[in-house]
Amino acid sequence: MVPMENYLILSGILFSLGVYGVLARRNAVLVLMSVELMLNAVSLNFVAFSAYLDPDKATGIIFAVFVIAVAAAEVGLALAIVIRLFRNRSTANVDEAATMRW
Amino acid sequence: MDEAQGYVLVTALALPLLAAGVLLFVPGTQKMTARYFSAVIGAILLGLSVYVFLAYQASGDPLQMQLRWPWIENVGFLAENGISLHLGVDGISALLTLLTGVVAFAGTLIAWKLEYRAKDFFILFWILIAGVYGTFFSLDLFFFFFFYELAVVPLYLLIGIWGSTRKEYGAMKLTLMLVGGSVGIWIGIFAVVHQAGAGSFDLPTLWAAGQDGTITPDMQKIIFPFFVVGCGVLAGLWPLHTWSPDGHMSAPTSVSMVHAGVLMKLGAFGIIRLGIQLLPDGAEFWMPALLVLGTIGALYGAIAALTQRDFKLISGYSSVSHMGYVLIGLATLHEVGVSGAALQMFSHGVMTALVFLLIGALYDQAHTRDLSDFGGVAKVMPLWVIAYVMAGLANVGLPGLSGFTAEFHIFVGAFRTYPVFGGLAILAAAIAAAYMLRMFGVVFFGPLNPRWKELKDLSPLETVSAALLILSMLAMGLWWSPFTDRLANTVTSLPGVIS
Amino acid sequence: MAEHAWILAAVPGIAFIVMAAFGRNLPRQGDWLAVLCATAIFALFFAVLANFLNLGGDSWPIQNSIEWTAIGDFELNMGIAVDPITMVMLAVITTVALMVNIFSVGYMKGEPRYWWYFAVLQLFVASMLMLVLADNLLLLYVAWELVGLSSFLLIGHYWERRSAVEAAKKAFITTRVGDVGLLIGIILFWEATGTFNILEITEHVKNGAIGDTRLFVTMMFILLGAMGKSAQLPFHVWLPDAMEGPTPVSALIHAATMVVAGVYLVARMLPVFELAGDALTVVMVVGLLTALFSGVVAFAQTDIKKVLAYSTVSQLGFMFVALGAGYASAGMFHLFTHAFFKALLFLGAGAVIIGTHHHQEMGQLGGLWRKMPITAATFLIGSLALAGLFPLAGFWSKDEILHAVEGQGTWAFFLLSIAAIMTAFYTARLFIRTFLGKPRDEEVASHTSEVSPVMTLPLVFLAFMSIVAGFFIFHDFGSALGFPGGFSEFVFLHYPSAFHVDWGLVGLSTVLFVVGTFGGAWLYWNGRLDRSTVLAEWQPKVYEMVQRKFYFDDLYQFLIDRVVLGFSYLVSWFDRFAVNDTGVDGSATMTGYTGFVLKHLQTGKVPNYAMAIAVGVVALTLISLAVGS
Repeated sequence: MVPMENYLILSGILFSLGVYGVLARRNAVLVLMSVELMLNAVSLNFVAFSAYLDPDKATGIIFAVFVIAVAAAEVGLALAIVIRLFRNRSTANVDEAATMRW
Repeated sequence: MDEAQGYVLVTALALPLLAAGVLLFVPGTQKMTARYFSAVIGAILLGLSVYVFLAYQASGDPLQMQLRWPWIENVGFLAENGISLHLGVDGISALLTLLTGVVAFAGTLIAWKLEYRAKDFFILFWILIAGVYGTFFSLDLFFFFFFYELAVVPLYLLIGIWGSTRKEYGAMKLTLMLVGGSVGIWIGIFAVVHQAGAGSFDLPTLWAAGQDGTITPDMQKIIFPFFVVGCGVLAGLWPLHTWSPDGHMSAPTSVSMVHAGVLMKLGAFGIIRLGIQLLPDGAEFWMPALLVLGTIGALYGAIAALTQRDFKLISGYSSVSHMGYVLIGLATLHEVGVSGAALQMFSHGVMTALVFLLIGALYDQAHTRDLSDFGGVAKVMPLWVIAYVMAGLANVGLPGLSGFTAEFHIFVGAFRTYPVFGGLAILAAAIAAAYMLRMFGVVFFGPLNPRWKELKDLSPLETVSAALLILSMLAMGLWWSPFTDRLANTVTSLPGVIS
Repeated sequence: MAEHAWILAAVPGIAFIVMAAFGRNLPRQGDWLAVLCATAIFALFFAVLANFLNLGGDSWPIQNSIEWTAIGDFELNMGIAVDPITMVMLAVITTVALMVNIFSVGYMKGEPRYWWYFAVLQLFVASMLMLVLADNLLLLYVAWELVGLSSFLLIGHYWERRSAVEAAKKAFITTRVGDVGLLIGIILFWEATGTFNILEITEHVKNGAIGDTRLFVTMMFILLGAMGKSAQLPFHVWLPDAMEGPTPVSALIHAATMVVAGVYLVARMLPVFELAGDALTVVMVVGLLTALFSGVVAFAQTDIKKVLAYSTVSQLGFMFVALGAGYASAGMFHLFTHAFFKALLFLGAGAVIIGTHHHQEMGQLGGLWRKMPITAATFLIGSLALAGLFPLAGFWSKDEILHAVEGQGTWAFFLLSIAAIMTAFYTARLFIRTFLGKPRDEEVASHTSEVSPVMTLPLVFLAFMSIVAGFFIFHDFGSALGFPGGFSEFVFLHYPSAFHVDWGLVGLSTVLFVVGTFGGAWLYWNGRLDRSTVLAEWQPKVYEMVQRKFYFDDLYQFLIDRVVLGFSYLVSWFDRFAVNDTGVDGSATMTGYTGFVLKHLQTGKVPNYAMAIAVGVVALTLISLAVGS
């Protein structure tokens, strides 16, 4: 059986990639995709811990399902915003959308 | 019997909330419906309040009409009776319940002539009243704070929307100061619940913890200022009183009545509930400081009122002065002094409600509140003048009206404990005579200023409302044993109160 | 009956409520109700008196009280105590009240707020009776304030007139300052003895419940209240101004009853005063100064009522002197006789005002005796009684006071004699300038006529009393009427022996009377003013000083305008600018400014925020690792 550490390392790599994407990318769609990567990393963690540490209960799996559901909703909302942004500004660059400050 | 009476409290608490809910569904154009409906609710509440006061047994256990509905318990750190809707009254809150009933009913009648968004006004008004009742009834720290806040928040809208004279400024200042005070109370509440370690917000449990030293004296000394400053803001504690003149100046009539009449008492009531009862050691330590602040407030308000030119500013400063008396009475920690403080809360409540009612009645017609604009008003508004003179004389502490009864008890208590401050307090009462009579002389008497020939006297609704308040003043002034008897057991059972 | 003497106060109290509520709608605006009420209490007084005398001296004082309220150890009882001093006060109040009520029917005819005037008059009588019946200081204080209120309302009866409003205000606030002292004194008594009951307080004090210094201080506070009400120096300023009220009110409140409440209080507390070190000396000095001061000021007054007002202040000073000498009976006796002749003089002045159609400046009067014979005759009797002509009422009581002071050292006796001469002098001036000589203003004189019987009858009755009231001092006179003896034996605080005429003193008193009266006659007889004008021109500064009442009023006005109100402006300014604008609004401005600075952290760029989050997470992780290890 694959040791749990492998899952955790994979999850860590995924999460770091996500963080890098969010910080380095300027395109809103790519930022969103990076966020998804981070969420999936977390879900992977949940499932792994659930399966290895407490196989009788499905607590972690349930959380993972919740995360997926919420992520889907979030993406739906976020993409709508990105589309509005693109329509109004003809760009998906997040640096351009900086009017929401004092 | 006790249980059944508890339902009276629940009714008095739920009725205004229910009224607010029902009014939501009344169309805004149906002003008369909203008015009649509110008047009926006010009358029922007055009846219930009178019942609570009369049914309160002077000779029984201080806490009566208790009723407990558990809400959250055995969760997290909360143990048995963690947070429950625990209602009940003691002598002081029974008296203040009566005050709320009287003032709220009078206020409803006065709000009758409001035309702009009348329905919305009543919705907020009833939420406020529910908050007041809830604070007086709650024997659970969580709900105490909840209702306390519920009473404060609608004020912002009530003043901001229906007010006059710099209403935004007044409303904003008042709300920010009161909410700022609440932060202190909130911190104090958590400190107390944590210290008591019983996992419960139930006030009697916490009182026991405060008295048997579970909440250590050192801790009490630290927490006490949070409560007193928090509640003191609402009680007009000097120097946190400045919302009072501005807030009163901008508030609409019936809100001024309820605000000065009842809401300011919530603050003083909080000092009793959270300060004296919950933290007896802290109270003993800090009371001299409170006494000094109260005395400063009493003198300061009276002196500042001497030269004001606006009716409402005079009443605002005189409220500061009178709430100073309440604080002096509480700070004596003497049974007569604390009773006097409770009496003064009632007395000042009805008296100041009457004053604001009358100022409103004049302002609505004259559109000015500058004293020097007037003169000889007694010629055209005799009823108005009689009512104002009665209120003014109660303010001055003339025997036969409620002010004397209250102030006399405070003075006696103060002389037993801090004679010098008692003397200063009496001095403030003498100054009160000066500013009241000055106003009488300038506004009511002398030759009639022809500009005011057209002024109309009190309308029937205003007369009923004023008569109710005057009756309350006379009742306490002429025959005060029903009031003091009900207070006696409660006051003597307060921890740290000496005889 | 005597134990139910509270009914005396209840009757006018109820009358007040009825008349205040419905008086306007009653036939004749309810004046008949007022007279009826006054008659009823006058009759009831005799019932009480008869019962009181029947019960006999052993049962005095007759007490009756109920428990009022209790908070822990703090117990309050309310009740009445009837003793001879109370009976004297009841006699004065009921009699003068009846006369004034009858007189007012004529005097106030056609005046505004006729019904309200009578209603408040009943309120006054009720509270005054309550004041003298009270067995405890708290109830006394309640009544004390209520008489002050009725006085305020009645002085300000013509409130369209600015001067009346000012006078009412002045009266209320000045006495209020004294009342503060009284209340402090009352609470200090409670503090030391745990009771408000006057008799119990006296007992406690006799048993040494209060230390010497403390007792002295307490009594000074009580005295402050008495001085305020009885218009003693330096609180006298309100009484002359109070003449703005309707004249019958001046007779009842500001001559016969309310202003003597202070004398009554000191007499009532005299056993305590005696134990309080030098307290009685203070009383006497205050009385002497007041008697002399207002006697002098009365010289320069030109308004009849003002002369009478200063005369009242001066006579109240006499009473204080008697009390200060420790003779309650002498003080009470002067109170008793003074009530009749001073009420007579004031009502006489009222008759003059009505008869001449509202003229009360002596410069416009003169020679009235032809036009108003009854008024003039009764006024003459009152004047002579005031000046102290043997054997009218004022003579005997002044004699008693001089007798009382004899033991106190020559200086007091000497000063009081001077005051007595001054009394005779200004009384002579008043009578001569008003009633004798030729009319100074033909216009006024042509309209003058005698007043109606409803007004002359009270005058005649009071004139009769001014003649006979003095005889109560004699043992045989009192016994014949059923009293235990003469006045001083009845009010047996200090003076249980029967009164004997001291012919030496009588002679001296007569000399004082003659000197004063003839001094006045020499200056003013036959409309002559030149001699007094010469006097005024000889020392204009002194004359002006007297006329300006030794600048007391100006001094107070200055203090109030500049010091008190100035301080108030300062406090208001402090409240607005220091507390509100700087403290409260200042903290709001500070918050706003902080926000203004910190808002630049808010770039609006998502990557900046994300970077902040990431850095924060890393930092927190490192910190927790560091702390954990």
